Amino acid sequence: MAEATVSVPLEVYRFQPGRDRVPRYQRYTVELTPHTPVLSALLRVRAEIDPTLSLRYSCRSAICGSCAMQINSKSRLACETPVGPEIERHGRIVVEPMANQPVVRDLVVNQKPFWDRYESIEPHLKPDPDHPMPVGRPTSMSPQEVERFHDTPRCIACASCYSACPAVGADPEFPGPMALAKLYRFVVDPRDGGHQDRLVRIQASGLWLCLRCHLCTDSCPKNVRPSERIRDLKEMAIAVQGATEAGSRHAVGFKENLKGAGLLNEMRLARATLGLGGFAGQLGQGIRLWRKKPEVARRPHPIEGMAELDQIYAALDKGDEK
Amino acid sequence: MPSHEVVVVGAGLAGQRAALAAVEAGRDVALVSKLHPLRSHSGAAQGGINAAVGAEDSVDAHIFDTVKGSDYLGDQDAIEFFCREAGPTVVEMEHFGTIFSRSEDGALARRPFGGAHFPRTVYAADRTGLALLQALWERLGSERFTLYDEWDLTRVVVREGAVQGIVAFDRKGGEFAEIAAKSVVLATGPAGRIYAKTTNAHSCTGDGIAAAYDAGAALKDLEFVQFHPTALLESSILITEGARGEGGLLKNRSGERFMSRYAPHVLELASRDVVSRAIVTEVAEGRGFSGPYGGYVNLELMHLGEERIESRLTEICDYARRFAGIDPVKEPIPVYPAQHYMMGGIGTDIHGATSVPGLFAAGEAACVSIHGANRLGGNSLLETLVFGKQAGLAAAAHAERASAPSLRASDLEEATAPLRAWSSRKDGEDPSLLRAEMQQAMAVHAGIYRNEADMLEGLRKVRALKQRFENVRVVDQSGVYNLNLTDALETGHMLELAEVILVGAYARTESRGAHARTDYPKRDDARWMRHTIAERSPDGPKLSYTPVAVTSYQPTERVY
Repeated sequence: MAEATVSVPLEVYRFQPGRDRVPRYQRYTVELTPHTPVLSALLRVRAEIDPTLSLRYSCRSAICGSCAMQINSKSRLACETPVGPEIERHGRIVVEPMANQPVVRDLVVNQKPFWDRYESIEPHLKPDPDHPMPVGRPTSMSPQEVERFHDTPRCIACASCYSACPAVGADPEFPGPMALAKLYRFVVDPRDGGHQDRLVRIQASGLWLCLRCHLCTDSCPKNVRPSERIRDLKEMAIAVQGATEAGSRHAVGFKENLKGAGLLNEMRLARATLGLGGFAGQLGQGIRLWRKKPEVARRPHPIEGMAELDQIYAALDKGDEK
Repeated sequence: MPSHEVVVVGAGLAGQRAALAAVEAGRDVALVSKLHPLRSHSGAAQGGINAAVGAEDSVDAHIFDTVKGSDYLGDQDAIEFFCREAGPTVVEMEHFGTIFSRSEDGALARRPFGGAHFPRTVYAADRTGLALLQALWERLGSERFTLYDEWDLTRVVVREGAVQGIVAFDRKGGEFAEIAAKSVVLATGPAGRIYAKTTNAHSCTGDGIAAAYDAGAALKDLEFVQFHPTALLESSILITEGARGEGGLLKNRSGERFMSRYAPHVLELASRDVVSRAIVTEVAEGRGFSGPYGGYVNLELMHLGEERIESRLTEICDYARRFAGIDPVKEPIPVYPAQHYMMGGIGTDIHGATSVPGLFAAGEAACVSIHGANRLGGNSLLETLVFGKQAGLAAAAHAERASAPSLRASDLEEATAPLRAWSSRKDGEDPSLLRAEMQQAMAVHAGIYRNEADMLEGLRKVRALKQRFENVRVVDQSGVYNLNLTDALETGHMLELAEVILVGAYARTESRGAHARTDYPKRDDARWMRHTIAERSPDGPKLSYTPVAVTSYQPTERVY
């Protein structure tokens, strides 16, 4: 017995810049089993209803990264998103192109900016003059060293994370989650000679623009967890170079600031983040704030359970991650 | 008009490796592909790449296994070259940055694969193709060349017996354009989408093979089509041979490891043609399971334990869960064979040279031949890199001596006039309808088991579809990203190749490797130990035959 089919109501974004004045949403209905992927539904539309619908697709098995699009407002691979749960949750399936990339036509976006940001992190092994590759044989690498890559080698460059990331849209200097996960992959590679330079460069150019919202990790179809690797890069950058940027100084300042009382001292944090000069520039705003809320300038009283926090800090300073 | 010394079409592993070799040789290189290079189908290869790097293994053993796997149709001189290059090729890819799986001693980890005497398959979990593709793109990306991504190849222009360049459709720009070249390398992959059930990506439509055929190049051994034993049922998504390499078992409905009756020595690790026929036979004789998506057998991994399954077979766990609703840690995976690989292709020598001066080919689009009648798992990734490099070097050398290409505006006009007629027509058939009928016909008439009557019927259907294709219609009137036009281009290419497959298979009255005829069940070395050559003529494919190169191993009966 074949599985019963359901009616799949699709609302698909249609737009061709230069030809159409505004985008429109076109409705199609196809009959499919609930476990059928959205990609198959769209291909059914192309084959049987409307051959003018345009989209990217190739492998249909979540390995080529072509068919990322927004399905009911979430960036996902169409080939591995079944129609049934989408209809149950939303009553319909709204299909739109990925965000943060200009539309070429319908669901096809221009990925040049995405690839350019990927290139910006210099995604290739740099020779290590101290440890040249062995001649005629592979580099020795332990399984533990391979584990340091985490799941970054699984990245299929689908750009789901790039589409989901608010920092990508806000700042062209931010390389984006995929590029940073790729950077991490080179930084932890024992064969790469560029570790320190890579960390110094990225600390000064975009690393701290990450908002830590974890939408990249949430949208990744391959469990690459870019936000966790970005966190690792931040830690490594500070370890290599100290806190040289407002972002890293803020992170270190935040940690130090909480010591002693368990509450933030905003004035001290601003000074730590911006440095003395930057802090002086913000003095006018600080005074206005102080007039309304005088407590911001006071040293906070220690919180309840401060002893426990002290223990956490002691463990942290010893480098005990547990 | 853009002009380059070397134009490489196809940006998977073979194309990228060819481009790298040509760039390193100092040539001005263009890389043209219908996909972004990182989206190429090479990235879908799972199980691994063969290299006799283990202490117990040897290049000679790799050579013998490949010759035997080919059912003695592989050219032994080419296989010797190929296997000798394996070690250096894998080392080079490791140095480019490939993240391979490792054994405890820090060496490259290896797993057993079908038809191999020793664990010879170097791997990166079950995403070896992706790992290699990433590393090669990273390496190539630091060189200077011109990328034309999302361009569909429509023609290779040959005049006065030599290549002058290509005509292609720029999807994003929405226009046909010419690119002049002294040398053209075709690395466009297979045409698996000729079949209804295939593990291949939608993009695998044989564009380069069809363009070479159209340009007068000889195709070789196209009738040898590999069916992978273990694909998921409905989607035909590949479940790697590595699953059996790691210890996975095939069982029929009564729980029997049925491979003991077909390959008593190596069971599940017999070569692919043998395992695929065994599964089809089990189901046909009522010993398989049946379900809404047809008959199947079970692939069991549960006994391997969760940790090993999750760490070494990460991707296929995802596939089974997401695409079949099966958790391989807890339950068997239902599998059935699906089209997977084309042993045949554009005929080349070991330097990638075709029968047309200036035209080269490599990878699955080409046929050297090293796979003969049946390819061993783990040899295709190796082939892309070994012969991609050779083709790139040869194309660069040819470009150095060749005179400037003479491509004319009339070439573009001539190549595209019939294609533009598709769009101006007021009625006609949609290409996807014709494609679907072709896929069904090939599945039924040119599948795992073949016979004369079936193939004649298939040929009749394919020729009728070619007639109907004369009246194909492209409804989409937009230039930009017009996939309706791409559909028509691809369908036209596949129909040409479907005919070549059938004509070659019909003529070959024996069973060898993946070509299994119920009416000629025995291998016939006296008559058929030779390659099929197909060239285009007004009356369809014109066949001729060339001898197989034999150096060390005389053909014997093939038992696993």
